[in-house]
Amino acid sequence: MANSQSKTEITVQELYERLYRPTEPGQWFLLDVRNEDEAKGWRVEGPAAVPYFHLPYFAFIDDPEAALATVPPGLGEAVVVCAKGSSSEFVAELLRDAGRPAVNVAGGMIAWGDFHVPLQVPLNPAQQGRYELWQFNRFGKGCLSYAVIAGGEAIVVDPSRFPALYEDFVKARGARIVEVLETHVHADHLSGGAQLARRNQARYRVLNAHGAEPVLGMEIAPLDGDVEIRLGGAKGVTLSARALRTPGHTPGSTSYLVDDHYLLSGDTLFVQGVGRPDLGGHAEEWSRELFHSLKHVVAGLGDEVQVLPAHFGSYEEADRQGLVRGRLGTLRSNSPEFAITDPEEFVRTMKAGVKEAPAIYGEIIKANLGLIDPGDKAGEWELGKNECAATAAKRRAAQGRA
Amino acid sequence: MEEKVLDARGLKCPMPIVKSKKALQELLAGQVLKVIATDPGSVLDFQGWAKTNPSFQLVGQRNEKDETGRDLYVHLLARNG
Repeated sequence: MANSQSKTEITVQELYERLYRPTEPGQWFLLDVRNEDEAKGWRVEGPAAVPYFHLPYFAFIDDPEAALATVPPGLGEAVVVCAKGSSSEFVAELLRDAGRPAVNVAGGMIAWGDFHVPLQVPLNPAQQGRYELWQFNRFGKGCLSYAVIAGGEAIVVDPSRFPALYEDFVKARGARIVEVLETHVHADHLSGGAQLARRNQARYRVLNAHGAEPVLGMEIAPLDGDVEIRLGGAKGVTLSARALRTPGHTPGSTSYLVDDHYLLSGDTLFVQGVGRPDLGGHAEEWSRELFHSLKHVVAGLGDEVQVLPAHFGSYEEADRQGLVRGRLGTLRSNSPEFAITDPEEFVRTMKAGVKEAPAIYGEIIKANLGLIDPGDKAGEWELGKNECAATAAKRRAAQGRA
Repeated sequence: MEEKVLDARGLKCPMPIVKSKKALQELLAGQVLKVIATDPGSVLDFQGWAKTNPSFQLVGQRNEKDETGRDLYVHLLARNG
């Protein structure tokens, strides 16, 4: 703590480390100075029980003394966050001038939403050393993407719009990207898949199966049927990833079963439930497809299969490092959707959970299909946490949380 | 009465609100302060500010474009009393 007095700013990496470090009460707290609408929809969360206090920055402009008096004392250092990091810098400075410890989160919620951490998925002893499986956790948005590396070759699944992040990571591990896969056409975030594939001359696979297929000015490799992707053959290591068609969340949803044991399930299965079948405005039809996928495709997989989804909704789904994974058997016995045996009841249940999708999702889908270009609006479009899960959303609503 | 214009183009928050607060203090009764900002975040910020500050009203908000096609966010403020 020797130089803590001189520190006025922390990076989102440091914020993540603080959230994942055991915290004593009174060490630090989050001070969110965004306007109420923004703070209501989305905020910094983590597994640590860190006190959260919200007061918009304009309160500190209107009456600084009154605002400062409202910020509770005794909570330790204020970690101040706003949308982009400049209003929070102003508030952190006010606090420090008043003799209270405060640091600004550089880049604010935009930087937090763009921040990714690679976490290695531990493999079973029999599989160790043959290949590596990495989960990129984009904590702010609850988005997960993956890299599978074997024999100097890599598959990247569901990459975000920051291709260099995956390129640098894979290169540092002595491999090159040969396949870029999407589990579906995403609605909540902009994909970097086409760009990543193009930059690395890798094969790209994505299936829309609803209206037009993506127009990306490049060849899209097939995904119909049971496509098998092999990795590392040149170095004598072979690893297979099998594409399983699991429509429901979207008609094109595909899950990838790596080495018969790790299911990159996209938004079909989450650690605590199933994906929303209503984001395309066809809740009835897509619910039927989801029911079929659960009963006829997922049902054929063993209980020991590890589910590695494309999202998480709450920190209860992550372990202490932030890794999000679950045993398929546990998901099957805990998630109410799996207990339903009648397709009509399943459709009714899913339709009862239908809620409005964020308005921007339609634009994001179009961009991911290559129909429009978000240009410099990409960051703005992606603000907020994903809303792709059916089960978790219901559970949170039942608990009275946003 | 002619409106008073505050050019907040290119300014990052909190500056559009810091400058608006000053401009409001010099505003005549019945006069409108037109704040021109380029930060899309200013739309919700001005709404939130107006809700918590009783000294003025947000009488209008609209999107415009400048001659280069850049998005402008215009906020119209009037003093209460």
